[in-house]
Amino acid sequence: MNGWTGQILRVNLTAKTFNKESFTEEFARKWIGGRGFAAKILFDELAPGIDPLGPDNKFIVALGPIAGIPAPNTGKAVVAGKSPSTGGYGDGNLGTRVAEQLRKAGYDALIVEGKAAGPTMLYIEDDRVEFLPADAVWGKGTYETNDWIYAKYGKGVGVLNIGQAGENLVRYAVVRSLEGRAGGRTGMGAVMGSKLLKAVVVKGTKPIPQADPDGMKKVGMDDLREVHRIDKEAGWSIQSTNGVLAWCNEVAALPVRNFRKTHHADAWKVDGERLNNARIATYGCPNCTMRCGITIHDDEGRESELDYENIGLLGPNLEIFDLPQVGSLNYLCDDYGIDTMSGGCTLSFYADAIDHGAVAGDYGFNDAAGSKKLLGMIARREGEIGNILAEGSMRAARKFGHGSEAYAMQVKGLEVAAYNCKFIPGMALAFGVSPIGAHHKESWVITFELKSTSRESYGPEKAQKVIDLQRIRGGLFEYIVSCRFPWIEIGWGLENYPKYFKLVSGLDWTLDDFWTISDRIYSMIKLFWLREYPGTDRKLDYPPAVWFDPANADTDGPIAGRHLEYDKYDGLLQHYYDLRGYDRRGIPTKATLERLGVAEEGRAAEKYGKLT
Amino acid sequence: MKITVKLIGPFVQVFGFSEKELDVPEGTTAEELISLVSIDKSRPKIVTRNGRAVVPDEALAEGDRVVISPIYSGG
Ligand code: SF4
Repeated sequence: MNGWTGQILRVNLTAKTFNKESFTEEFARKWIGGRGFAAKILFDELAPGIDPLGPDNKFIVALGPIAGIPAPNTGKAVVAGKSPSTGGYGDGNLGTRVAEQLRKAGYDALIVEGKAAGPTMLYIEDDRVEFLPADAVWGKGTYETNDWIYAKYGKGVGVLNIGQAGENLVRYAVVRSLEGRAGGRTGMGAVMGSKLLKAVVVKGTKPIPQADPDGMKKVGMDDLREVHRIDKEAGWSIQSTNGVLAWCNEVAALPVRNFRKTHHADAWKVDGERLNNARIATYGCPNCTMRCGITIHDDEGRESELDYENIGLLGPNLEIFDLPQVGSLNYLCDDYGIDTMSGGCTLSFYADAIDHGAVAGDYGFNDAAGSKKLLGMIARREGEIGNILAEGSMRAARKFGHGSEAYAMQVKGLEVAAYNCKFIPGMALAFGVSPIGAHHKESWVITFELKSTSRESYGPEKAQKVIDLQRIRGGLFEYIVSCRFPWIEIGWGLENYPKYFKLVSGLDWTLDDFWTISDRIYSMIKLFWLREYPGTDRKLDYPPAVWFDPANADTDGPIAGRHLEYDKYDGLLQHYYDLRGYDRRGIPTKATLERLGVAEEGRAAEKYGKLT
Repeated sequence: MKITVKLIGPFVQVFGFSEKELDVPEGTTAEELISLVSIDKSRPKIVTRNGRAVVPDEALAEGDRVVISPIYSGG
């Protein structure tokens, strides 16, 4: 089957068994790979209501038809499972050599089931699977663990591993790979930890089946050079993602002080210019020629790799405007395997809760030393507060009470990425309707809202734009499995992706064909949520309450006195549901499921929740 | 009238400054200002005036802060 290896590797840690399973061409064409494969497998195999941190959850690594093939930015893998932070479908993607190595080993996906008897490292080399003890690195951070693995196998292998946060079931623990970054902020590191799975190491030696390997090789290499040329000409990677920080500050979209403020006079101290000036190295994922990672020395002399999201949420959001200090918090998150975004939002929530008298504590904004200490306590679940904050802001707010739920900056249990939507309705919608909680990877509409329509609008054009971008960002790039940056940041044409798809699979598809796949996957993820939350309603798709609060409106700057309005947001949400073919609860209608080829999944979900 | 121009991201390196104050004639429009600071017209960009998007022929006023940015897509 060109384009796919046609095999999934299923491993059971309890029984220490494994088997290779073939999938059909129909399955491949219907779900493509990555998020599509993961969502379908989890929907079919997980009984609703299982504990995401129990042995019944499954940890999935899923790749797509162009993953690992030399072509622009294909060194990415999707990690997925039922999310410990949201209780719904959870996934994330990260740069890793696992993408190429797992496919060369002969698999398009890995499913890990059960729970090991002791700390385990899974070693996969083609047809061989070994269950190896990982006691030597249990309790260690991701850097030391990675070094230990490289010392054993050399640097050519693909590695996924977790730090102390994953081991201790911090609900927003990530999976790390030093060949790229971190991924799975929906708690996929905790899912690994719950299985006592410290690391997955993969080596493959087989060719990846392709319809036109020579053509793909030529086009892939040419395009890698072209992406490099365009990036150099545009200068995007000079400041990389952090170029946007100064802009967010100018247009009142920066998270400052747990999102209480939208801009700050000191923001320039951590902006893209300062980051580029502090650069000591550049870092990238495999198969990438527009490497976006900027590494600096942190305040303890360690190398820390920064981007906008982690600077925004560990910097201005905590009112820390010192790059080496932010670098230090970021380094600790990376080493412990804590998601920098949820980590930043959980700390800022705690500072805000103390500020508002919801809880007593010796911590506050602009407290780098206190933040470092708390990150360690969270990773180890140390003391009462370490344990509470390890649960994330939504659960911490339930514990603290006193109205603090309103300013826990999360949707569905996943903390908000670094865009302050106090008065950006479309982006608030993008966070609200993201299928995994408040992640920016699905859709990002802020420049559209400012430039192509009005910021004040709650019109259908914004709902449509959110859908258009979901189809591309949360759809195409997540199931074909490739980094979205060439398209979003330097304008690399979307038409290249059907071109690559054809070269590997022989299938001549249009972008519209792909959008149907995207809509299918989004609908099925909705069914996953319906099964978990049968009483679900549209409130699940609401952004944090504080953005609607007039008392929280800015007192100066471009959006002084402005805030989101409930009625209008609800209208915008309805536009989204109408355009998607969802009912008033935000669940796809039977007609929509039929149209998208998921009627069967609909019938399976109907045992748990009503369809209309 | 005095206008502050702030460039964002790669524009800083490409056009050679980060932020500067300019003395421009009354009635200068956003588009004219962009030409004054030699920003390539064909470059996709988003221009804001005091944090709000402007149309090219909008007249500027004393003390305005004009920010010229590439069109970011949010990582
Ligand atoms: S652009 Fe950045 S995130 Fe994307 S593949 Fe390259 S280094 Fe990785």
